[in-house]
Amino acid sequence: MPGGGVARRPLHFIVMADCSGSMKGEKMQALNYALRSMLPHLVDWERDQLQAQLLIRILAFASAPNWYVPDPLPVSELSAHWRNLEYVPMGRTNMGPAFRMVAEALSPERLERRALRPAILLITDGLPTDPPGGFEQGLAALLDVPAGRSALRLAVAIGRDASSEPLDRFRSQDVPVLVADGTDEIADRLVTASIAVSRMSEVGVNREALAERLLQPGQQRGAHPVLPPEPGQVRLDDSIL
Amino acid sequence: MQLPNQDFVGSERAGSAGVVAVVADGHGHSRHLRSARGSRLAVSLGCRAAQELADLIEASEIAEPAAGAEGEDADTLDSPAGRIAELVNLSLVPELVKSWREAVITDVTADPFTEAEEEKRRPGDDPVIAYGSTMLLCLVLGNWLILAQIGDGDVVCVRADGSAELPVPRDPQLDGQVTTSLCGPDPAGDFRIAVLDTRAIPLLAVLLATDGYGNAQLAEDWPSSFSKDLTWLLGQRDTRWLASQLPSWAARCASADGSADDTTVALLISPAGQAMGTQAPSDTTAVSPEADAEDEITIPADAAADDAGPGVR
Repeated sequence: MPGGGVARRPLHFIVMADCSGSMKGEKMQALNYALRSMLPHLVDWERDQLQAQLLIRILAFASAPNWYVPDPLPVSELSAHWRNLEYVPMGRTNMGPAFRMVAEALSPERLERRALRPAILLITDGLPTDPPGGFEQGLAALLDVPAGRSALRLAVAIGRDASSEPLDRFRSQDVPVLVADGTDEIADRLVTASIAVSRMSEVGVNREALAERLLQPGQQRGAHPVLPPEPGQVRLDDSIL
Repeated sequence: MQLPNQDFVGSERAGSAGVVAVVADGHGHSRHLRSARGSRLAVSLGCRAAQELADLIEASEIAEPAAGAEGEDADTLDSPAGRIAELVNLSLVPELVKSWREAVITDVTADPFTEAEEEKRRPGDDPVIAYGSTMLLCLVLGNWLILAQIGDGDVVCVRADGSAELPVPRDPQLDGQVTTSLCGPDPAGDFRIAVLDTRAIPLLAVLLATDGYGNAQLAEDWPSSFSKDLTWLLGQRDTRWLASQLPSWAARCASADGSADDTTVALLISPAGQAMGTQAPSDTTAVSPEADAEDEITIPADAAADDAGPGVR
């Protein structure tokens, strides 16, 4: 056919992982285990749906952000070649520069025009430690980019104290902050988040209703709901302006 | 479970020897639960509005552009293109928006929302939201190419040198996530139009495509490669062959290898485009899918997402 080849639409999924000094030890171990546990769910989802090619990137952040997986990678490839993240000794929890780096990755110049609404998952155990105004300016830069603004933005707080007002400002309005009370809950929360990312990125779904079903506080504890695909999941979410 | 194809396509004669083709993409979101009806109404009313515009233009003194006139002078109100653009803006667009809304209200009055449908609607939704659709309209009248578009989708004009011309202005509101719509708050304001004098900008073909086509294309600048390839094909094959292939192109875009979205296209081939092949050229014309394609030139095709093959109504 004229015009060259065809391909599924890319769905970019960016994980922002807190690798600050406070993540040392059991938390870092739990985070790596959780990320590894999340990937097979995403692989399964990608195989079972029709509309998207899921491409994942991981940004490790502490005092400064650093792309751990810099280029969009098929999720099955990352799952097959996983290497553990490491914490940064004495590293702070500076989120502003990390938001800026994600904003650059999602800029119109770098994002395919046909890309689906991206998803961003922020995982942290603490409050932002940016210099005054740093968090706000970084978040503003992310929300200034159309794809950053429209992205599904999820946050997982490790510990109640991490579920803070800054995370509320980061997250999408229709999703709550997921809280892992202990390291043993991080994997559950990330799997729940991955299901939310995949299901809520499907087009034609009622995102608000789905968020309520998947992410309401009662659903955050214990077994995560694995919902069957809904009719019409292959439709584009061509919401009107 | 597969939803029905919510796109629609149609074409009609317009004026003394013109043709209009319209494609419309009914929104897939559950909130737009009657969008297949909305796109069907958009196509039929779009064809009718274009026919009325064609009559209006032919009855006026602006039907024939001055020889050597620039093709993209619709911004100059005194120019023929500017006067046609003004007619589109002041007549076709508002009439179309009004008649589509009235037709939707008539439809919903005759067939009120069922209980199941009411559950999908959001509280306070205007009934027209359930019928939401985009629309791409192309009227070929003499040497004029008149385009009107609301919402996403692509209009690709193939120039005589094989390059692509995208005359409809881009809408910064369309970020790939949301679309303007006939059911939006200001549909008349969201229409984008273009008027081309094809004597100044000779064209071989025009492609109207719902966004399922462009969203399936791997190349960012797919209109350029599409135009080059189609120009080459026009020299190699006749339009009957193209007519036989177009449904498979739409189906490939709509498949799981592509956008997995409903895909509907209409391809208009000009006399110059026809002359490149093995057949004698005739006027640019358009047919409905049910029509016998043997003596016709322009080809609409559509495919529902997840179809094993092309879907033709």
